[in-house]
Amino acid sequence: MRYAPLGRLGQERLAASKVLVCGCGALGSVLANTLARAGVGHLRIVDRDFLELNNLQRQVLYDEHDVASGLPKAVAARNKLQAINSEIEVEAVVADVDHTNLAELLDGVDMMLDGTDNFETRYLLNDASIRFNIPWVYGGCIGAEGQTMTIVPGETPCLRCLMPESPPPGTTPTCDTAGILGPIINVIASIEACEALKILSGHRDAINRTLMVFELWDSRLRQVKLDSLQGVDCATCQQRQFPWLDGQRGSHTAILCGRNAVQLSFPGRQELSLENLAEKLQSVGNVTRNPFLLRLAVDEFLITVFPDGRAIIGGTEDIMEAKTVYAKYIGN
Amino acid sequence: MKVEVKLFAVAKQLAGADTAVVELADASTVADLRAALARTYPPLAPTLASVVFAVNAAYADEQTRLHPHDEIACIPPVSGG
Repeated sequence: MRYAPLGRLGQERLAASKVLVCGCGALGSVLANTLARAGVGHLRIVDRDFLELNNLQRQVLYDEHDVASGLPKAVAARNKLQAINSEIEVEAVVADVDHTNLAELLDGVDMMLDGTDNFETRYLLNDASIRFNIPWVYGGCIGAEGQTMTIVPGETPCLRCLMPESPPPGTTPTCDTAGILGPIINVIASIEACEALKILSGHRDAINRTLMVFELWDSRLRQVKLDSLQGVDCATCQQRQFPWLDGQRGSHTAILCGRNAVQLSFPGRQELSLENLAEKLQSVGNVTRNPFLLRLAVDEFLITVFPDGRAIIGGTEDIMEAKTVYAKYIGN
Repeated sequence: MKVEVKLFAVAKQLAGADTAVVELADASTVADLRAALARTYPPLAPTLASVVFAVNAAYADEQTRLHPHDEIACIPPVSGG
């Protein structure tokens, strides 16, 4: 509040704001932590994953107790954030963000922040940003490098102005193949969070209008001016086509960044009973369960199933193999 | 003319160098550079379709003309998080 450009009015605006933090892994941890401490009044944290020990190297909201508890990240994050600031409202949503649920997740939301680890979800967020006129901030990291760009519909270029086609699968390295250095996460997420503070407090004039590219190992920052993208015939923000949001683009499987795991999801499917499933799988392998997920260890696989039928198959990065394992033990 | 291209992120790994040096005809464009890089560094080819080029610290579209002393950066999208 004492920071003059923010002031009392800015702080009050933050308290009245609602933000969707999309993904609560490495970037999302820093985003949610920073916004909770800044007094952003309502955080909706959505994440599809659960915690693993190797997450702790960079996912600063969590500790070994959280890993041992077997909680989904969104729930562990909410618990931690409420302990940090009990005066704000924090909602945890355990879900894979896709075209069937994003509009609902955006109900009442003033802006979205990118804590995701894949371009499919980012293009989906970009579609929603333009269609519903909600600003968002892109952030991505790999190794010791990171990028961020702020998108305000009608004012700045959008993600698709900059990158008309999403990178083909397999051409962008994951945290698994290239590794990631903790500090780059903090740099990128802190910039994303600061952009959010500017926008939410009513200071859009102060936003970053470049693509910022950091190379931390070489101590270099580059800012790429995007002025020449203003007014290009972009399929999203000029032609208003939203193929990711309309469900024409995007698959329902994903290889999870840094996890040796594949996620399979089934939007629109009926809820399944984890209790019944636990009974069915008792003889197959080692089954554990909490209200949010069920886990089956069998052969070299660790299968985690959520009530919406979504599953994360650990122990493989082969989508076909993951589907086979799902069909064999969980059923279709 | 010879141009130097500073490579970022995965482009650096795929080309095995921080900087790519490419021979181009005078008055070549970013589109020509994209094609020349794919020829000179075949492992880069699949990634090149989605990289952003910056010339003298500004976004450069396919028609942007290149000059021998331009500062050119090849910036692939970065996905982790």
